[in-house]
Amino acid sequence: MTGSLQRVASTVVLVVVSLLLTALILWASGYPVGDVFSGIIQGAVTATGASTSTIRWAIPLLLIGLGVVVGFRAGFFNIGGQGQFYIGACCALAVSLGWREGPAPLVILCGTLAAIGAGTAWSLLPGYLRVRFGTDEVLTTLMMSFIGALVLQYLTAGPMRNPSGTGQTAASERIPDSFRITDSSGVSATVLVLVGGVAVLVWLLLERTRFGLSMTLVGRNPTMARWQGIDVRRVGLAAFALSGALAGLAGAVELYGPGARLVTGFSPEVGFTAVVVALVGLLTVGGTVVAAILFGGLQSAILFLPIVTDLPPPALVLLHGMVAFLVTIKFKAVWRRTGPEAKAAAG
Amino acid sequence: MEQILATTLRSAAPLVLVATAGVFAFRAGIFHLGLEGLMITGAFTTVAVGDATGSVELGILAAVGVNLVLSALYWWVIGPLGANVIIAGLGLTSIGLGGTAFALGAIFDKRGSIFTDVVLPRPVRGITSGAGVIVSELSILVWITPLIVLTAWVVLRRSRFGLRLAAVGEYPFAARSVGVNPSIVRLQALLIAGALCALGGAELSVGALRNFTENMTNGRGFIAFVAVIFGAWHPIGAALAGLFFGFADAIGIQSQINITERVPREFVLMIPFVITIFAVWLGGLWRRRSLEAEAGYAELREPDY
Repeated sequence: MTGSLQRVASTVVLVVVSLLLTALILWASGYPVGDVFSGIIQGAVTATGASTSTIRWAIPLLLIGLGVVVGFRAGFFNIGGQGQFYIGACCALAVSLGWREGPAPLVILCGTLAAIGAGTAWSLLPGYLRVRFGTDEVLTTLMMSFIGALVLQYLTAGPMRNPSGTGQTAASERIPDSFRITDSSGVSATVLVLVGGVAVLVWLLLERTRFGLSMTLVGRNPTMARWQGIDVRRVGLAAFALSGALAGLAGAVELYGPGARLVTGFSPEVGFTAVVVALVGLLTVGGTVVAAILFGGLQSAILFLPIVTDLPPPALVLLHGMVAFLVTIKFKAVWRRTGPEAKAAAG
Repeated sequence: MEQILATTLRSAAPLVLVATAGVFAFRAGIFHLGLEGLMITGAFTTVAVGDATGSVELGILAAVGVNLVLSALYWWVIGPLGANVIIAGLGLTSIGLGGTAFALGAIFDKRGSIFTDVVLPRPVRGITSGAGVIVSELSILVWITPLIVLTAWVVLRRSRFGLRLAAVGEYPFAARSVGVNPSIVRLQALLIAGALCALGGAELSVGALRNFTENMTNGRGFIAFVAVIFGAWHPIGAALAGLFFGFADAIGIQSQINITERVPREFVLMIPFVITIFAVWLGGLWRRRSLEAEAGYAELREPDY
């Protein structure tokens, strides 16, 4: 257990170092660091509605982050969460706008399933190329992510554009209010139960089932896993599918919850932040929940900060970058050579 | 027609410069996803320092300096400190995008964009009519870009350094066995890449335009990375791929003007990404190379429990 304790400690240290470095930059640029930090606490926890807002931003991070965890567990690197999230939201929107007169629970169910299906499809293509041909999934998921963002841009500017919209940024029509599962705060009992349930299910799957164990084995050493009689390709595909499904679900939750309509390029950082969240959470379900709340709090705070200081919002992007830049540092680092490393199902 | 040609050259020049940067990193075995961040830092620093000193040369020098420092930090984090190449690279991109947008607010007290009086020299002058007008609008960096690409090709294929770089990227054991320190070679490659990204960013902000806008690179660093893959990490190949993506961009701009009804711009913009997926897939089929970068993030695939 000392090993995992060390990992927790080193991650906490690295996150704190990132915060301090960012604070140093703010201080050097002449911003009152004390005010900024007290503003972050207010905006994330103490101000009216702040903790709700923290949860609201933590939800997509958690769902997409869990997807990243699942992928990593089987040894795959899904950094395309953003695109899967967008495509999921688009499909849920298409279902909801196409079937406005339908009974609300049924439409929401169909829309959510469509979103999950779309997210799955969006990650299964890179997944299939990976397990069948050994195509590098980092590149393909990233490319699919860009394509997903362009699809959203096309839909919100074209076929699904709200014709009466006058704003500068393209946005879709709103879904009927009866389809929404939260108010504009983005948090309700339904959503909390849903997201909590998903987190518990993912935990059970990873830690308490045969399938979860075979995923871990494939992730650690595919060759050995194959000798153990595990169908490495099938496990890999399932991991990709689940990973995309979770990101797609996040898209549906975003639409039926706080969004109600889709704006081109909404939540632009969420996919990448979710990868950081998963890494800060040490690629475990519990850790990811904690990290998602932490980063949700930061997101909520940055929207609140302009009230107390004149800090520009990009400071948050800077902070995320700093955390990502540093969080994977290994204290006992040596540049590992090409060893018997995971060539997953490639061979 | 001339219009498309000129727009292509303009869109392509920053892409080609940054793609050349990507080739250097890729040959050293580094999947450099921080190109976008270095590019925008280059663009911003050129404008900020150039505007303050009134000299575009000083601006570019400062941009190169800042990028050298950032690249050295990146090397330090992924090399001696053993951080994940991909994640740290994406982090570098966020630091660049967030940092420049933040600095825009902190230094210039502006949101969105700033304009500047400094501009790169345009060597061809005095043409006021016909197709030549467009040529006279191209900055000096556009003209020397082919030279830079050729130099990169000579360095990579014909110099001792280039061969060492290839050895480090393809098989670090072999490099080490003949007394080359892979870590130092990676640092050199990353420094060269950083400087080239600064030039690419400068061309974007003071070559084609005279301003800096938040997020003005708009994914160009990633497209450049795509060009590296698509061009089979050969400097000429990457440059041609960059030229092609510049052409696609030019067509995209044109289609926005002319044929929006028929081809939505977004679909034109998707082309590079779709092509890349195919290229990566086919490339993987044709030759399987063991790249150090894979080993770099294999560490994450095999977490130490």
